[in-house]
Amino acid sequence: MSDQTRTRDSVILVKGDAYPVTVDGILATQGWLGGQGVQWVASALDEFVVTQSNGYYAGFMLWGSNESSDQFTAMTENQPYYRFGTVGAGGWHILTTTFEKYTFLSRKSGGPLVPLVYHASDRLVFSIRGYWTKEITEWVDSGIPDLVVRGLNEYYIGFVTQSPSALTNFYMGIQVSI
Amino acid sequence: MATQGWVGGQGVRWADSTQDEFIVTFSDGIYGGFLLWGSNEPSDQFTSMTGAQPLYGYGTFCAGGWIIATIAFEQFTYASRTGGGPLVPIIYTVGQRVLFSLRGLFTNEDEWTPSGDPRAPNTYFIGNVVQAPAPENNNYIVLQTSI
Repeated sequence: MSDQTRTRDSVILVKGDAYPVTVDGILATQGWLGGQGVQWVASALDEFVVTQSNGYYAGFMLWGSNESSDQFTAMTENQPYYRFGTVGAGGWHILTTTFEKYTFLSRKSGGPLVPLVYHASDRLVFSIRGYWTKEITEWVDSGIPDLVVRGLNEYYIGFVTQSPSALTNFYMGIQVSI
Repeated sequence: MATQGWVGGQGVRWADSTQDEFIVTFSDGIYGGFLLWGSNEPSDQFTSMTGAQPLYGYGTFCAGGWIIATIAFEQFTYASRTGGGPLVPIIYTVGQRVLFSLRGLFTNEDEWTPSGDPRAPNTYFIGNVVQAPAPENNNYIVLQTSI
C-alpha cells in the first residue's frame, strides 16, 4: 500500500454501484470535489437530479467537477458544463480528501480551528456541506430551523479504514456502505 | 489476530496503523466486515494456505451482501458464558437480525448492554438468519449479511 497513488480527490480501491445523474444549478455553478456527498432533489423534468448533501445522502460524486488530473483532457470542465456527474453508492472502499478537517463549531464561530481527529472504525455521515465527517451534531449546531428539527444525524454511510496522516498524504480511507 | 488466530466468519473492525496499510482486529460489536477464511482451517492443511495468513499477517475481508454458512456464531448466551453458571443455548430463528458479539462472533444478543459498555445498546445489525443451526445442517448457521 505504500505505493498507492493518490492524485485525485477520491481514489477508488474497491468499486460499488455507480450511475450517471444530472447535477442541479448549485453544483454546476459552484463545482464539487471528488467524494462530495450528494442527495436527491426534485426536478420538473424526467431526470434524476442531485444537489449538494446537507446530511442526507444519495451517494458521493466519483469525480470532482474540475480536478487537476482532468486538465487538458476531454474531462476538462465537461461535467459542470453538461451538468452531469457519476454517483457512487453501495459498498466501496475509497481514499479521499473530501472530509471535514475541523469541528463544525470552530469553523462556524470564527475562533481558532479545532482539528477533527479521526480513528479507524469511526462511523461517518455527511456534513451539511456534504463532506465526510464523524460529527453527528451539525444539524443541531447549525441553528438552521429546517436542520435543527432533524436532531442528531444518524444517517451513517461509512467507516474510517485509515485515518488521515502525513503517511497517507492526508487522505482518509473510507469503507462506504450506502 | 495473527497470534491468536481466527475462525472463518470472524467479525472484524478497522484499527489504526502506523503504516500506510489497512488493518483489522477482532470486532467488539462494531463491524467492518468478516474474514472469509479462518487462520488455520482443517481444509487448508497440507496446502499452500497452511498457516499462510497469520504468518504473513493478512486476511480476506468481506462486506456487502453474502449468503454464508458458518460456525462463527455464539452458541450460548452472554450471561451464561460470563456468569459461570450452566451454559444456556441461544435459540436462533429464521429472519432474526444478527450483530457481532464482544469477541466478534455472530449473535442475536446485544452484548454491550449487559457488559456495561458505554456504547450500549448495540444496534449495529449486519445480517439476518436464513437457516437456524440444527443437526440437519451440521449445526452451521446460514446468514444473509448486509454490511
